[in-house]
Amino acid sequence: MDFIIQNILNALQWGSFYALIALGYTLVYGVLRLINFAHGDIFMVGAYIAFFLATTMLGPSFGLSPFMTFVIAVPLTMALTACVGVTLERIAYRPLRRKGAHRLYVVITALMCGLILEYGNLAVLGASRLKFPDLIEKSIWSVGDVTMTNLKVIVIVAAVVVFIFLNFIVTKTKIGMAMRGISYDKFAIPLMGIPIDSIIVFTFILGSGFAGLAGLLFAMSYPILEPFMGMIIGWKAFIAAVVGGIGDIRGAFYGGFLLGFIEVGVVTVFPSTYRDLFAFSILLLILWIKPTGLFGMPQSTKI
Amino acid sequence: MNTPLLEVENLHVKYGNIEALHGISFTVGEGEIVTLIGANGAGKSTTLMAVAQLPPPEAPKITGGDIRFRGQSILGMAPDRIVADLHLALVPEGRHIFGNLTVEENLKLATYARKDGVNELNRDYKRVYQLFPRLNERRKQRSESLSGGEQQMLAVGRALMSGCRFIMLDEPSMGLAPLLMYDMFRTLKELNEEGMTILLIEQNANLALKFAHRGYVIDTGEIVAHGPCASLMENPEVKKAYLGG
Repeated sequence: MDFIIQNILNALQWGSFYALIALGYTLVYGVLRLINFAHGDIFMVGAYIAFFLATTMLGPSFGLSPFMTFVIAVPLTMALTACVGVTLERIAYRPLRRKGAHRLYVVITALMCGLILEYGNLAVLGASRLKFPDLIEKSIWSVGDVTMTNLKVIVIVAAVVVFIFLNFIVTKTKIGMAMRGISYDKFAIPLMGIPIDSIIVFTFILGSGFAGLAGLLFAMSYPILEPFMGMIIGWKAFIAAVVGGIGDIRGAFYGGFLLGFIEVGVVTVFPSTYRDLFAFSILLLILWIKPTGLFGMPQSTKI
Repeated sequence: MNTPLLEVENLHVKYGNIEALHGISFTVGEGEIVTLIGANGAGKSTTLMAVAQLPPPEAPKITGGDIRFRGQSILGMAPDRIVADLHLALVPEGRHIFGNLTVEENLKLATYARKDGVNELNRDYKRVYQLFPRLNERRKQRSESLSGGEQQMLAVGRALMSGCRFIMLDEPSMGLAPLLMYDMFRTLKELNEEGMTILLIEQNANLALKFAHRGYVIDTGEIVAHGPCASLMENPEVKKAYLGG
């Protein structure tokens, strides 16, 4: 029993990381019909931003306590990572959109932007890995054989809070309605007096901000940073978003947790080298059965 | 008459390399109902999209001429500002409602740029639901579940909620049963009597000419006739080509 609870907690933690990143894929896809393949690398940039913020604030010029550093680093990392996402939209995606470029070119541009972020990081910071400082004192609670760290709780709570917040934005606010409206009919948005670009920018702010939060929490949980850390986790989160039904925020959330559970489930039975093979095979099976993803609707035909 | 509310002067537009309008000119005065009639593909919808300043590729590219609103050129203005600042709304062909939103949400979204207080907004919601009671009955429904006629009502209601004083309608009768169609035109007439300026595109030229004050006939991207509706209806050319003899 303890063993099961322990694994559920681990699955929830990994699911939270996947969900936080998957939300960014799904938001941008919903609004632009663009798979933003640079998103995993935005997560990586978020982790690095968190690193520099943390080391600066802990350092002699500020000398903040680790806890204060954490409290300030959360909003600041999210804000700065959001700026990176918005910049990417401005300099890479918007010019192509203006010229009416085919979607394929925009996706390729996104892939290239991801690579530029990875190799730009490599060029500027070198290949050496960075060690993320400890920001919160790790407390471990044990009940029987189940151990729970406060960091894990923070990660899971963060994912749930973000989900509730996003759900509120998308269902209750006008800007959220506009995001849903664009995904159905982009043509009519300006006719409602809504500037499309501001909705797109807002979408990138949300998606990249949450990727930044994920980057910070990930770096705190697994404190080794390297330029390619966003690649695999980004791919996995993207697949989670698709399995959940890309374009739907519930889909991203459940898809992320589903992947977390499948991965941890596989590892409890098989050697850990089988993890990704089995996990992705199961996801492939799900897409066989429901190609639109768990929450995906068949693309509605427009009149 | 003073400066007309809308002046379109020698407008040329292109889709890709194909010129769709070869220099058309017309005016709409404040409080008027003006109709553009013409065959399919004559350039009527293109004209409205150009006035709404919708960007290519969906909309045409303006290559010459001018569009003025109260004497000021609006070329290059962002389409959302046309709605928000000029209170000029377009109800596009095919309605383009947000099918994944409820009726209520569609109407609410149209108020996005409005700066009015709650009282004004509530008054307008009430007015729209009073003009179209069917929308009130279905306000919590996803709008893609509405019938064609109800979707058209929603499209017009949405334009009203954007706070427009000038409404351009692209084939509002399309797909409507005759009874609903007359209802729709009666409602539009009522709005006009309250001061709404209307620019209407219609396939059904008979209906349009009975409804409007003045009309323009467009043929393959050019204006071929214009005048008060009564005289257009007597014009033998117009009669032959558009009114079925």
